[in-house]
Amino acid sequence: MNSETKLKSTLDTNFHSEGEDFRFDEVAIENEYSKLNGDKSSIAIKILSVLGGFLATMAFLGFMMIAGLYDSKGGMVITGILSIGFAIWINVMFNKLIIDTLSVSTYAIGISLLAVGLSYMEVDENIISILFIVIAMITLAIMQNYILSFISILIINGGFLFLIINNDVYNLIHIYNAIITILLTYVFLNEGKLIIGNKLISKLYNPVRIGLIMSLLTGLVFVGKTGIFENHVYAIWASSIITIPVTLYVISIIAGIMGVAETRTKIIIYTACTLILLPTAFSPAVSGALLIILLSFLVNYKIGVSIGIIAFIYFISQYYYDLNFTLLTKSILMLSTGIIFLIFYFFTFKKLKPDEEI
Amino acid sequence: MKRDDIHIISRNSNWSKNGVETVLKAEIYSDATAWKKFVHILLISLGVGFSVSGIIFFFAYNWADLHKFVKIGMVEGLIAILTLFIVFSKLNLNIKNIILTGTSVLVGVMIAVFGQIYQTGANAYDFFLGWTAFITIWVVISNYAPLWLVYIVLLNTSFMLYSEQVAPNWSGVFILTILFLSNTILLAISLYIPKIRKEAIIPIWFTIILALASVFFATSGVVVGIAEDKHNLSFLALIILAIAIYLAGFFYGLRIKSGFYLSVIPFSVIIIFSAILIKISSGATMFFIVSIFIISSVTLLIKSLMDIQKKWNNE
Repeated sequence: MNSETKLKSTLDTNFHSEGEDFRFDEVAIENEYSKLNGDKSSIAIKILSVLGGFLATMAFLGFMMIAGLYDSKGGMVITGILSIGFAIWINVMFNKLIIDTLSVSTYAIGISLLAVGLSYMEVDENIISILFIVIAMITLAIMQNYILSFISILIINGGFLFLIINNDVYNLIHIYNAIITILLTYVFLNEGKLIIGNKLISKLYNPVRIGLIMSLLTGLVFVGKTGIFENHVYAIWASSIITIPVTLYVISIIAGIMGVAETRTKIIIYTACTLILLPTAFSPAVSGALLIILLSFLVNYKIGVSIGIIAFIYFISQYYYDLNFTLLTKSILMLSTGIIFLIFYFFTFKKLKPDEEI
Repeated sequence: MKRDDIHIISRNSNWSKNGVETVLKAEIYSDATAWKKFVHILLISLGVGFSVSGIIFFFAYNWADLHKFVKIGMVEGLIAILTLFIVFSKLNLNIKNIILTGTSVLVGVMIAVFGQIYQTGANAYDFFLGWTAFITIWVVISNYAPLWLVYIVLLNTSFMLYSEQVAPNWSGVFILTILFLSNTILLAISLYIPKIRKEAIIPIWFTIILALASVFFATSGVVVGIAEDKHNLSFLALIILAIAIYLAGFFYGLRIKSGFYLSVIPFSVIIIFSAILIKISSGATMFFIVSIFIISSVTLLIKSLMDIQKKWNNE
C-alpha cells in the first residue's frame, strides 16, 4: 500500500467520533507524509547524521588548528556567525533529511568557532553563554529540524549549566533540576495538548522530549556523583524534594491505568513506593532516572526507556560506590534491598500474573 | 495508527484535544497488561540484581575470620540451591532465566573467591576462561539471549586477557582480526539458527549488538593497520576478510531490507577511507578534504538509504 491510500484509510477509519465538524488540511498532511515517506529506519539515519556531522566537525577543527587559523580572532567570529547562518539558511531552504549532516556539521563548527573566537577576544564568559542560549532559542524559533532542534535544546541547557558553574553558584543546580524535571513531566503527560496547538510547538515536540531527557541526565550527574563539586553543592538531597514527589505522582497515574481502585491497595502501594524511594533521597539521580523510565514506558517511548535503564544502573552503582561504609555493610544493605524486592515480587506474583487466557 | 500519523494529522486539522488523547491512550501508550509485565520484570530484576551485588560485595570484603572452606562452601552452596530451585520450581521460564543469569554471575564470584584464597591475581585470563567454561551448559540449555550476551562478553574478555598476558608478541591487528572473525561467526550463527529451527526466536537487539561489535573490531583493526608502517600477513588477511564479510553483510541487508546493515557497513568504510586519507598526508589541506569527504559521503549514504527505503515501502 503506498502512502496516499494509507493516509486516506487512516483518516476515514479514525475520525467518525469527531463528527461533522472535523476539518483537516489535506495538502499539508500529504506534504508531510511525502517528506516522511521512506524514512522508516529514521533512527539509523539520525545517528548517521549526528556521527557524520561530529567526525566532519572534528576534522574541520583539526584543519583550522594546523592551518593556524586560530590566530585570527575576528576571522573566527565572522566564520562562526556565517557558518551558523548558513546552517539555518540551508535548513529553511531545503528542509530535507539528506542535508542534515551538512547542516549539523556547519552548525557545530559555527558554534565552536564563535565560542573560541569570542573567548580569545576576552569577552566575558557569562555573556558568551547567554549569547549561545539566545542563538539556540532563535534557531528553535526559525526551524524545527529534528537534530538541530535537539542540539539547540542541549545548548540552551548547557548554557544554563555553564552559568551555574562559571559563577560558583553550584546550589542553583537544584533549581535547574527542579525546572527540568517538571518540564519533562509536563511534556510527557501532555502530548495530546501540545501537538494540537501551535504548529511550531507540535513539530518541536519530539526533539524537545529527547533533549529534555538528556538535559535532566546532565543535571542529575552533578548531584549523582559526589566529588564533581564535592565542596560546593550543599544538601545533595535537595533535588529529591522535586524528583520523589513527581515520581510518586506518576506512580499514581500508573496505578490508575492498572485499575487499582481499592483504597487499601492504594495505601499499600503508596507506602511501599515511598519507603523504597525515601532512602534514595540522598541520591536524587536514582529517582530522577526512575522517573525517566516510568514516563517513557507510560507513553511507550522505547529510546527513553533504554536511556533511563542505563542511567538508572549507572546512578545506583555510583551511589553504592560513593557510600562511606565498609564493603560488608554495603553488602548487607544491598542483600536486604534485593530480598525486599524479591518478597514484593512473590507477594504480587498472583495479582500481576499476566492473564494470557483472556 | 502510529505516533507520527497522530502528530502529523493533529497539527494539520482541528482534531480535538480529547480525541487526540483518546487515540494516544488506546493505540500508543502502555496499557494495563504492559504495565503488569513491566512491574513483574522490574521487581524480579531489581531483586536478583541487588541480591547478586550484595553477594559480590560480601566476598569482596574478604572477611579474614572466615575459613577458606566456609567462603568457597557458601558460594557453591548458594549456586547449588539456586540451580535446584530453577530446575524444580514452577516459575515461568522468563523468571527462571533471569535467576539463572544471576547464578551465572555467582560462578564468577566463586572463581574470584578461589583466586582470592590462592592469590592467582585479579584479572588472570584463566579466571575468565574458567568462568566461561563452567556456565557453557547453562547458556546452551537456557538459550536465553541476555545470558548468551554475558557469555559472548566473557569469551571476548578471556581472549583479550589471554593475548595480553600469555601472548604479548601478537600484533594488535592480529588480535582485532581474531575478534572480528569470531564475533562475525557468532553473528552468522545467530542469524542462521531461526531459519533451521522455527521455534528459535533471537531478539533483534542481540544481533544488532553482535554486528556492532564485529564492525567495531573490523574498523579498528583496519585503522590500526593503516596507521602502522610495517604491515604483516594478518593485515592482509584482515583486509580480505573485511571485504568479503562486508560485501556479504551488505547484500544480506539488501535482502532482508534492513537499514541497519546498510548504514553501519558503509559508515565503517567511510571511516576507513578517512584514515587512508590522513595516512597519505596529515597536513591542513588534508583535514579540510577529510571534513568535506565525510560530509559528502555521509550525505550520499543517507540519500541512497532513503531512496532504497522508498522503494521498499512502495513494493
